Amino acid sequence: MIEISSLSKSYGPHKAVDEISFEVTRGEIVGFLGPNGAGKTTTLRMLTGFLPPTSGAARIAGKDIFRESLEVRKQIGYMPENVPLYTDMRVREYLRFRGAIRGLSGSRLRQRLGEVLETCGLTDVRRKMIKTLSKGYRQRVGLADALIHDPSLLILDEPTNGLDPNQIRAIRQLIQNLGEKHTILLSTHILSEVEMTCNKVVIIDGGKVKAADTPANLINTMRRAGRVAIELKALKSEVEPLISQFDEVTRVVGETVDEEWNRFTVFAAPKTDTRLKLGNLAQEYGWPIRSLARQTGTLEEVFVELTRKD
Amino acid sequence: MAIFRILYVKELRGYFLSPFGWLILAFAALMQGLILTATLKNFSDQAQPESLVFLNFNSPFFWFYFIFLFPVLTMRLFSEETRSGTLEGLLTAPVKTWHVVLSKYFAAYTTFALLWIPALIHFYLFTSLTDIPPPFTWAEVAGAMTGIALMGLLFTAFGCLASALTSSQIIAGVICVAILLVHFLLGLIPSQYTNQIDAAPFFDFLSSQNQMQDFARGLIDSRPIAYHLSSTAFVLLITYHLLDFRRWKL
Repeated sequence: MIEISSLSKSYGPHKAVDEISFEVTRGEIVGFLGPNGAGKTTTLRMLTGFLPPTSGAARIAGKDIFRESLEVRKQIGYMPENVPLYTDMRVREYLRFRGAIRGLSGSRLRQRLGEVLETCGLTDVRRKMIKTLSKGYRQRVGLADALIHDPSLLILDEPTNGLDPNQIRAIRQLIQNLGEKHTILLSTHILSEVEMTCNKVVIIDGGKVKAADTPANLINTMRRAGRVAIELKALKSEVEPLISQFDEVTRVVGETVDEEWNRFTVFAAPKTDTRLKLGNLAQEYGWPIRSLARQTGTLEEVFVELTRKD
Repeated sequence: MAIFRILYVKELRGYFLSPFGWLILAFAALMQGLILTATLKNFSDQAQPESLVFLNFNSPFFWFYFIFLFPVLTMRLFSEETRSGTLEGLLTAPVKTWHVVLSKYFAAYTTFALLWIPALIHFYLFTSLTDIPPPFTWAEVAGAMTGIALMGLLFTAFGCLASALTSSQIIAGVICVAILLVHFLLGLIPSQYTNQIDAAPFFDFLSSQNQMQDFARGLIDSRPIAYHLSSTAFVLLITYHLLDFRRWKL
């Protein structure tokens, strides 16, 4: 659906997006992550034809974003960051206008209007002026705007930005439902959202792609993933050398919790599980175990690991 | 073409589904009425060598409000869309930049054209409500209206240009007034220096006042027509490229 190959955008000497390449296949919900200023919005603006790329190319549904811009724009439903709307129009009037400039008319336009008002939960406010609506409703109007022409690709720039937890939940639910029929590329920095909704994650930082994979794979390959914590009633000096001799273990740090109990943090290679070995070891030497847990990474940790500056 | 019509209707609704368009219309009608009253008083005071239409459209009051119509009509067109970010939504929809520029331009121009309905009604009332022979002919009215229509084309384009330059309505309005005043004052240069300068004919040609004097006598000259049409096309072309600036800036 989207093929991006070495797409770059410079603002003067500053490279906002630096030769990024990734693909999105039809039917995927892709989370586009990155810290503020990473180049997310710039990338999305290039894909939607608002900004021209400095170099590189991208194709959407097989069409070049620069040479066949109008064709590409017909395929895309785009919700810009902060959802700009004509605030002096009424909801239905606005959506009718947005549908019309995408080439809908007559009964088809009326039918789509009814559908998007229903899907986005706007039926009750369809006669209200947009300027009187709350942020959550405006966000929904933006989403309805992106959906009105039934595009095959939805590009959403921070769709849940500035919403309260209930509204975030509602929008997330809506995106998940939409994902059944549409390809969705959404940028955000709310990571729990991505873990719940997306089948693929692209992380960019400083204009470069740092990772592109499924959330589960990203979590498994991260450094902290193999880490195990065990609490034993045993002497530090006795335990540490024994654990260190395992191949996958890189480092053991022991600390006293209370009296004779010590907690050992075992750093191990990613994609390994030393729990069984540790359990057997404790049994062998007769050390009582109070807890044994393998740390499961979160996408947040992956994100921090890939994008932190130090 | 369908897209252009949709955008044009939307812009026109922006003027007349809010108090905005009606306020300008009321202001224009008021000014036209005041100027006509003042001109008629001149007629009652002493004999006038020129017609009512000529004096009406060549009084200093006329230029004073005429020039201020354009910033009011056009300042919000592009700057407001840039400021609120709706330009992004508009230009990522499958519409051509030309559609956007021309729809806004012609919506503003249509509104401008509608402002002259009160003036026409005033002249009509003069002939139908009084039994004195009217001190003007309809040919002179037609000439004056042609002049206003032509100047409106160029001045509205200047307003669009100013609005596309900035995201602040106020600054756009100020730029528009500045351009229009400079354009108007260029025509006054020869009267300041008499005709001692070589460029005097050039400034005379540019002078909106000179052109209006001809038009209000019913004299329709092809040179101002060519000047206004070509300048309008040029200014709109610059406006188009300003709006597309983000597409070619480095």
